[in-house]
Amino acid sequence: MTPEAPSIRSLPRTLQADALTPAALEAVHAQTLTVLEEVGVGVGGEAMCRALADAGAEVDLSTKRVRFPAGMIEKALERSPRTYVLAARVPEFDLAIDGQHSYLAVDGCAAEILDHETGERRPSTKQDLAMAMRLADALPEIGILWQPMSARDMPRKSQSLHELHAQFANSGKHIQMMTAVTPEVARGVVEIARVVAGGSEALRRRPIISAFECSLSPLMYEDGALEAAQVYAEAGVPCGFVVMPISCATGPATAAGTLVQSNAEILAGITALQVLVPGAATFYGCCATVMDLRSGAAACGGPEDLYLQMAAAQLARNYGVPSSIGTFATGSKIPDWQAGVENGLSGFASVLAGADLMCGAGLLFGARVYSLAEMVLDAEIFNLLHYLTDKSAMSLSDSIAQVIESVGPGGHYLSDKHTLQNMRQQWMPKLFDRLSWEDWESAGQPGPQELANERVRSLLSTHEPPPLDDGVEDEILRIIDAFERGDGGNEDE
Amino acid sequence: MSDLLKSLQEAILTIDEETALKVTQELLDSGMEPEEILESGMTEALLELGRRWNCGEAFLPEVVAAAGIFERCSAIVEPALMAKADRKVSDKAIIATVKGDLHDLGKNIVGAMMKTVGLEVHDLGKNVPTEKIIEAVKELQPKLIGLSALLTTTMPEQENVIKALEEAGLRSAVKVMVGGAPVTQEWADRIGADGYAPNAPEAVRVALELTQVAA
Ligand code: B12
Repeated sequence: MTPEAPSIRSLPRTLQADALTPAALEAVHAQTLTVLEEVGVGVGGEAMCRALADAGAEVDLSTKRVRFPAGMIEKALERSPRTYVLAARVPEFDLAIDGQHSYLAVDGCAAEILDHETGERRPSTKQDLAMAMRLADALPEIGILWQPMSARDMPRKSQSLHELHAQFANSGKHIQMMTAVTPEVARGVVEIARVVAGGSEALRRRPIISAFECSLSPLMYEDGALEAAQVYAEAGVPCGFVVMPISCATGPATAAGTLVQSNAEILAGITALQVLVPGAATFYGCCATVMDLRSGAAACGGPEDLYLQMAAAQLARNYGVPSSIGTFATGSKIPDWQAGVENGLSGFASVLAGADLMCGAGLLFGARVYSLAEMVLDAEIFNLLHYLTDKSAMSLSDSIAQVIESVGPGGHYLSDKHTLQNMRQQWMPKLFDRLSWEDWESAGQPGPQELANERVRSLLSTHEPPPLDDGVEDEILRIIDAFERGDGGNEDE
Repeated sequence: MSDLLKSLQEAILTIDEETALKVTQELLDSGMEPEEILESGMTEALLELGRRWNCGEAFLPEVVAAAGIFERCSAIVEPALMAKADRKVSDKAIIATVKGDLHDLGKNIVGAMMKTVGLEVHDLGKNVPTEKIIEAVKELQPKLIGLSALLTTTMPEQENVIKALEEAGLRSAVKVMVGGAPVTQEWADRIGADGYAPNAPEAVRVALELTQVAA
């Protein structure tokens, strides 16, 4: 395993800033422990409650409330590995989660797509998902695939499995499941991943998929979320916990308050997982935002989000658990000024905070609409940040005084040898407009969306994803078929 | 308007629950008709809050909190109201987030806003099985059902509720309104719902329209 897969661009961790002072970090941690110990977390399943009680939690079975002593949390954090590999179907796309690199995911999971050909917003299909995966496969900036949108034309029961099928068939990159959140569907997912990986042991050795579960903020794990996490972990599939609280609605009104609650929910999830499957690879996920006070909608993209991104990633670093941080989640409806500002700052915040996974590229309208144009625009922001964090491009050569001397006062660098040798280090935007005014006019005054659509078309017209091995696709379809008929997703077949 | 009635309105508008409950009791003790307390005091305050919300002066948390106070004040006047034979009944509505779906924020907001226009809203909660909705319809005989679904995988439950209403012979007795982020007018038409709204103010408008037609 190479430490940095060549064909996927990652951000080296060379810049770092802390949103929380050491004292603030300590206060957040202390208040979190108080919440976990005194308020506790609601846990749906009775068997799960009992397992947690056996491991030292104080459990009230009548209310299904689980209170975690501090020692239990600490032990779980010790058990959680700091580094691991998120493998990919194509080994060159393996990702080293090593605390030294940030990777970009395709975001998910929208219910609609902004069609790049017609400009129309419409319900998304399996075909759309497949197309988005092919595009993501072509973009070196994308390291991980969430399900960007729902395969709404597929049977409800097996929708997640169809999504996984479209993903495996159209990209060789690592897939992270966000829509398979019940133990039954999780078992279906694992079954498919085993076929693609070449068996249960192969999947355990090289987890080509991972997953995450969400809390039901405030402070609940309901409806099989922890049980699904257990299914993944037992199969050797890394499973994280991602919270999505909304300040003023499902989280306290202050950003710092929402941070404490988020921290408590994530640590509760991780602790439960480490009780069930000690040593399981997991991650610390936070996609927090605020409620728009007028409409009640999730705002997505404001300064509170930036603070929460930075503070959550800092906490994860401090706990020694890899992080997955909500990034590029503009509230805007089209790829416009607002989207550019929100996502530019959001990307920068996650880089500074040292996020391991940044999720992710391509969503508009507060995670409700997917846009392929936005995916390539977000990738472009990531690319810009890549340049900024890649210290080699910015480093000073000892001989620069000589170069300056050779040009001298009043000269120019235009055709200087040093320029000819080094100019290709300069960042070359693919989607930022640097045309002359005249050229821009004769090109029809293209905006970011037009430029991005053009790039989407060109990538889609040429890129061929690495095919699946012979027979694998048939096998996947067979599993989905069995699942639909009701005899799939069973325990240990 | 009596000063006390004014201070009841003021208490609701400023989310001062303690005063609101105290004044409601005082008004009742002073012999004021329960209808008047309800209509000129409590409902008037919610309507005013709705107006303020519409022009951006009040925010959602205030509306939701005021709707809660309204409910607890109602509990005080209710016994007196029930004791009267000729009481005017307000239209009933049921709201619920459908089975399999845990997203209840939007539904809560829609419910709170519907109260601001004087509908008697019964919130069945989230992840509500169709059978439970049918039972509630039989028991409460509402004019309107509001169904929320936030997941593409739970949207079909809205259709299931409509089918179940048909099977139970209740479809013509009640209007069905659907909503939630992925829901569209087109979807509402396709599953035979009577109304759709993309947001809470619109939901209130549609709810009023549907309950008035049903009247
Ligand atoms: C908060 C949230 C959660 C919270 C819910 C907390 C709660 N108590 O409600 C939690 C974290 C639990 C959650 C869980 C999940 N979520 Co969620 N969640 C959201 C989020 C960010 C905001 C939803 C929200 O509350 N909006 C604010 C309210 C006010 O808006 P609203 O609900 O749309 O309501 C308005 C209108 O729609 C309308 N309306 C609503 N109901 C009704 C009803 C009637 C009758 C009428 C007329 C109108 C109406 O009026 C409302 C007010 O204006 C959305 C993304 C988004 N930006 O919408 C995702 C989202 C809905 N979730 C999503 C997913 C995938 C999930 C999970 C599967 C994730 C997971 N991996 O665990 C689980 C599923 C759990 C389950 N079984 O339901 C997806 C759905 C994708 C899809 N294609 O279906 C979304 C779109 C996010 C995303 N892009 O991935 N989620």
